[in-house]
Amino acid sequence: MRKFLLYVGLVLLLVPLQTILLPHVAIWDIKPDLGLVVAALVGVLAGELEGLLVGLAIGWILNLYSAGDLWLNLVTTGGAGLFAGLLAKQVAEITPTILSIGLLLLSLAGGLVAVFSMMHATMSETWWMVRFVVVPQACFDAVVGAALLWLIEQRFAMPRFGMLDRYS
Amino acid sequence: MWMVNVRSSHGARRLALGMFALLLAVLFLFPGQSQGLLDILDGPVGQVVRLPLEAVSSLDQGISDMWQQYVSLQHVADENRRLRQEMEWLRGENSQLREAAAATQRLTSLLQFKEQALPSMVAAQVIGRDSSNRYKSVILNKGESDGIQKDMGVITPAGVVGRVVKTTGATSVVLLLTDPNNAIAGLIQRTRDEGIVEGVPQGRAKLKYIPMLSAVKEGDRVVTSGLVGGFPRGLAIGTITSIDREEGALFQTAELVPEVDVNRVEEVLVIQAPHGQTAETVARPEIGVQAQP
Repeated sequence: MRKFLLYVGLVLLLVPLQTILLPHVAIWDIKPDLGLVVAALVGVLAGELEGLLVGLAIGWILNLYSAGDLWLNLVTTGGAGLFAGLLAKQVAEITPTILSIGLLLLSLAGGLVAVFSMMHATMSETWWMVRFVVVPQACFDAVVGAALLWLIEQRFAMPRFGMLDRYS
Repeated sequence: MWMVNVRSSHGARRLALGMFALLLAVLFLFPGQSQGLLDILDGPVGQVVRLPLEAVSSLDQGISDMWQQYVSLQHVADENRRLRQEMEWLRGENSQLREAAAATQRLTSLLQFKEQALPSMVAAQVIGRDSSNRYKSVILNKGESDGIQKDMGVITPAGVVGRVVKTTGATSVVLLLTDPNNAIAGLIQRTRDEGIVEGVPQGRAKLKYIPMLSAVKEGDRVVTSGLVGGFPRGLAIGTITSIDREEGALFQTAELVPEVDVNRVEEVLVIQAPHGQTAETVARPEIGVQAQP
């Protein structure tokens, strides 16, 4: 129950953070996708099932405040939680660097799906969006995700998640 | 204390993968139904999210106001704001007068002509930006409970801002003029040629489907045609900066600089009925009364 309330609070807090406060710290008009980062972190820390469920909730709520399609937000954010949870089990140790690489790939994949699903964009406009929106945002997400994991590790004095933790 | 569980069972993994596969199947096989189901929940959830959203928005606004009034040069900021407002009103009035002049020229042979009806509008404040970077949209502090619906036009006194694409009970999302997914019927004010205004990712807009025989030139102003969409005729959209005439093409395309700086817009007017009210007075004092968010 406590965890559920924590997730509800997290999702509710994400909306004003993402829509009101983050635009102030945007670099070249690009802000990190905190929804994706949080879903991936939940996937890594709490497993793929919770990552998927929290990711779906975040995707749905954030979609209320975006002009984008619902399916895209659900699939990218929910998928990020799920795949982060699954990928976390395939590496020997989860460090901020490993997480940042995973987030970079997840964000790139989600961004590319979103850009290529835009019906009205021409090829040059699509390429422009890949270069100036998708790639910078993926880098931004990776850095923010790594920083958040490092902060969580410091704050809660958590050990690194090694193979022994998972298979003992 | 936050507990970390990295030992998810195979059952949980199978369940997660199964749920994701099911979700994909439902979303792609029944897009309308799944969207409709979630739309029912959007209203109550929107009301719940409204609380933290308004709290953070008022905090953000307070800090922003404090910065502008006390940390920055107070008098300069006030004067600048007043002049900007006045300039926006004048731009809007100028656009309407140009439109009226053009209409007068075309209608001189007629003895009587109809006055343009004033649209009914509701004022709203911009409280946030799109939650993703891929769409250019803003979030307004008014929603369905204030009478705002999908596809309504959004303007400032200076010109067109965009149109409403999504609403909850308390908020609405406006897709900006500069977004590539937006399309608004436009009209070149001087030549009366019509086209479709679409955004481009770089933050400008373009007017497509201009006839090849059109004598459009740089500096021409583009206004709403009023034929389709939630806008009345004659609202300023932008000014043409360059024209693309490809040999063998059926149409010309022109690049526009939008009249409104959509990245800095703070207060807007949502057009509830483009041709809703008939009034004999000019829009300025009427809109001024309604424009308090």
